[in-house]
Amino acid sequence: MNKWKKLATAGLAVATLSVLAACGNGGSKSSSSDTSTINWYTPTEILTLDISKNTDRYSAMAIGNAGSNLLRVDENGKNQPDLAEKVEVSEDGKTFTATLRDGIKWSDGSDITAEDFVYTWRRMVDPATASEYAYLVSDAHVLNADEVIAGEKPVEELGVKADGNKVIFTLSTPAPQFESLLTFSNFVPQKESFVKEAGEDYGTSSDKMLYSGPFVVEDWNGTSGSFKLVKNDNYWDAANVKTETVNVQTVKKPDTAVQMYKQGELDFANISQTSAIYNANKNNEDVIDIAEARADYLVYNETGSVEALTNEKIREALNLATDREGLVKAAADTGTNPATAFVPKGLATLTDGTDLNEFVSQPYTFDKEKAAQLFKEGLAELGVDSLTLTITADSDNPIKKAATDYIKELWETTLPGLTVEEKFVTFKQRLEDTKNQNFEVAFVSWGGDYPEGSTFYGLFQSGSAYNYGKVNSPEYDAAYEKALTTDALDKDAGAADYKAAEQALYEGSHYNPLYNLSNKGLQNPNIKGLARNSTGLDVDFTYAYKTK
Amino acid sequence: MPILAFDLRNNMTKYLLKRIAILLATLWVVITLSFFLMQIMPGTPYNSPRLTDEMIEIMNKQYGLDKPLWQQYLKYLTDILHGDFGTSYQSANQSVTKLITQRLGVSIHLGFQALVVGISGGLLIGAVSARNKNNKIDGFLSVVSTLGISVPAFIIGLLLLDYLGFKWALLPLSGWGTFGQTILPTFALAIPVFAQVTRFFRSEMIETLNTDYIQLARAKGMTNRQVTNHHAYRNSMIPVLTLVGPMAANILTGSALIEQIFSIPGIGQQFVTSIPTKDYPVIMGTTIVYAMMLMVAILITDIVISIVDPRVRLG
Repeated sequence: MNKWKKLATAGLAVATLSVLAACGNGGSKSSSSDTSTINWYTPTEILTLDISKNTDRYSAMAIGNAGSNLLRVDENGKNQPDLAEKVEVSEDGKTFTATLRDGIKWSDGSDITAEDFVYTWRRMVDPATASEYAYLVSDAHVLNADEVIAGEKPVEELGVKADGNKVIFTLSTPAPQFESLLTFSNFVPQKESFVKEAGEDYGTSSDKMLYSGPFVVEDWNGTSGSFKLVKNDNYWDAANVKTETVNVQTVKKPDTAVQMYKQGELDFANISQTSAIYNANKNNEDVIDIAEARADYLVYNETGSVEALTNEKIREALNLATDREGLVKAAADTGTNPATAFVPKGLATLTDGTDLNEFVSQPYTFDKEKAAQLFKEGLAELGVDSLTLTITADSDNPIKKAATDYIKELWETTLPGLTVEEKFVTFKQRLEDTKNQNFEVAFVSWGGDYPEGSTFYGLFQSGSAYNYGKVNSPEYDAAYEKALTTDALDKDAGAADYKAAEQALYEGSHYNPLYNLSNKGLQNPNIKGLARNSTGLDVDFTYAYKTK
Repeated sequence: MPILAFDLRNNMTKYLLKRIAILLATLWVVITLSFFLMQIMPGTPYNSPRLTDEMIEIMNKQYGLDKPLWQQYLKYLTDILHGDFGTSYQSANQSVTKLITQRLGVSIHLGFQALVVGISGGLLIGAVSARNKNNKIDGFLSVVSTLGISVPAFIIGLLLLDYLGFKWALLPLSGWGTFGQTILPTFALAIPVFAQVTRFFRSEMIETLNTDYIQLARAKGMTNRQVTNHHAYRNSMIPVLTLVGPMAANILTGSALIEQIFSIPGIGQQFVTSIPTKDYPVIMGTTIVYAMMLMVAILITDIVISIVDPRVRLG
C-alpha cells in the first residue's frame, strides 16, 4: 500500500509539473511573426451579430468589419465608395441616389442587390424588430420614418426604394448627418430570404449570418469569448485586403491586456482604463491616441423646481468655480482633455481641416474670485445666505465618483455658503431621474452617433427629450435650427451655427462642460492602414496590414 | 436480506418524492420573489439614453412589457413550464436556454477541474498533516490551509496571475479554449476547496485514529501503516463527502470574479452583467439555475451519505 501511495504522490507531482511546463510554452508563445494575422481584443464579449438590433460597440466591430455599407470611412475620416460605385445628392439635399458596383456578392456567393439595402432600412424601423437605433432613421428625416416606427404606416412607405442597381433615399428635409449613415454598421445590407430562414437564430452565432464585407466572422457560438475575422474572398476589393485573419479575444482585465501586448500576444491594448496603467505606460513609444465621441458635463435643473439654478449668476459662479484641469488630474488622469465645448475633439472637421471642437470652443476658465463674487450676488438676489445643491451621478463609474468628490470639495471651498451633497445612483436610475427632471445638478455623459455636430447639439434644443435641465435659449434654438435647415448641406456654415449655439450655452451658463474622455493605447507600430473612428466603426481592419 | 433492501428502497422513494416536492415548492417561491423584486429596479432593459418615452412604449409593446404585471408573471410561468426561458434583451435573438447551457458548460468544466484538484490535494495533505499531528510539518500545513480558507479565491487568482502569468510568463493570462488557459483559474478556485478539505480531513483522521475499532485493529497486531490505510482513510473520507455538494454549488455560483479576472465566458459573469443591464429573462434564468444547482447539490449529498452510511436516517 505504501508503495502505491508513494507512486500516487510522485505521479501527481510529475503530472502537475509537466502540465505547468507544457502550458508554459503555450502561454508565452508569441502570436507569431505572421504578417497576415492581427491579434486584437475586446474588453467585453460580443453580444450579437444582428445588424439591426445591435447597440454594442464591440459587436459593431465584428458587424462592421464583416459587413460593407454603400460607403466606408477611410483612414483619414473621409467617406469612400464601398459597395456603391457612387452616391449622388440632389441639389435640395433631399434625394440620395446610390449606384451599386457591378458583381458585388454575399459571402455565400449570391448577388448583393439594391433590395438588400432597402430591406435593411425597413427592418430597422419595423416595430416588430424593436431596434433601439430606429431613431437614427427618424432623426435623419427619412420620409415617413416616424409613422413607420409608430406602426401607423407599413414599412413599404419608408423613403428608401430600389430601382435596378440603384438605392434611392428620400428625405422629408435635408439632414447633415445622412451621408454618414451610409457608412454605418447598423445599415449594412441584409438579405431578406436569409434573415427569414434563420428566423429566431439570426445573428446568434457566426454561421447564422451572411456577410457582405471584407471579412467573415468565424468561430463564434453566441457566448464564446473569442472569434475570428477571416478574409472574405467574395468581397469586391478582396485583392486589396492584405490581412487574412484577425483573432479577437475577450480580455476583461485592463492590465492583462497591456501585459499580453507586451508579451506579443496582442497588437493593441488600451491604457486609459485606470490612472495606474496610464501612468505606467504613457511614455511607451507605441502609444497612440484614440478619439472618443464622448462628452462629460453637468446639467443644471432650470425647470424652476430649484430656484437657485434659475439664477444665472449662481450658474455662472458654479461654472467659474470649476477647475477642469485639476478635475482631470484628480479624477481622470488617463490622457483625458479638460472640456471647452460640448463636441469632443476628433468628431468632425471643417472643410479646411480645422477640428470642430477647436472651432466652437469657448473661453471656460477657473476664476475663484469672480465665482465667489457672483455667488454672493446670486444669493443676495435670491434673498438667502446659504444654499444646498445635490449632484446626482452614476455609482457604477469610478471616474465619475472621483470627479464628483472633487467638484464638491472645490465648490464648497470656493463658494462660501454652498453645501454640496452627492447622490450616487445606478446608470439606469440616473437615466430615469434625469429624464424626469428629478435632480438638481446631474453628472451626464453623452456619446455621439455620427461625425457631425448635431449628434451633440441636438441635445439642448428646448424641445429635445434629452434636454434634461430644460434649457430654454432662443439664441441656441435659432442657431441649431439654422444648422439643420438653411445650412444643412454647408459644413462650414453649419459649424458657424454650432459655434453660435455653443456661445449661447456658455453665456447663459446652461451647462458645465467637464472633460472629453479620450483614450490612449499601445498599438503595434508595424500595423499600417488601420482606420479608427470616434463614431461608427471604431476599428476598421479592411486595409490594415502588418509590415513585419 | 431482500426484505431489508425492499424496505430501504421504499423509504428512499418516499424520501425522494418528499424532497423533490419541497424542492419544487422552493423553486416556485424563488421564481415568484425574483420576478417581482426585479420590477423594483429602475429603468428599462434597453440601453440607449436616446430612447424617448414614445419609443420605449413601442418597444415595451413589442416585448409584452406593456401588459399588467400579473399577466407577465403568468405568461412567464407558463413559458418556463414549456421549457421556454425567453430571449435575452442584451444579446439580440439569443435564447436564454442556449445562453445558459453554453455558459454553464464552461463553468461546470472549470468547477469540476477545481473540485478534482482541490479535493485530491486536500485529502493528500490532510492525511500527511494528521499523521504528523502537532509537529512542525503539521504546523506549517495548518498555516497554509488556514490561509487558503481565509483568503478569497479572487485574491489568490490575482496573485497567481501576477506571478505565473505576468512576472514569469509561464501560463496564458486570459481566455478560454486551450487547456493551458484553464490552469490558473482552476488553481484559484481549487485552493479554498483544497484548504477546506485539508482541515476537515485532518481532524477526521485524528478522530478516527483515536476510536475503539482502530485501537482494536492495533491490538490485533496490525502495523500503524496498515491501520491507517485499511481503516482510517476510508472511514475519514465519508464525512468529506458531505462537503462536496455544497462546495460544488459554491464554486459554480461563486466563480463570477474568477471568470472576470481570466475572461472566461462562464455563467457567473452572465449573471453579474445581466443585473445592471436589467436583462429580465437572463436574470430569471440564471437565478433559477443557481437555485436548482444549490438544492440539487444538497439533495444529492444527503442521498449519497445515506447510501454510504446507512446509519444516517432519512426523512
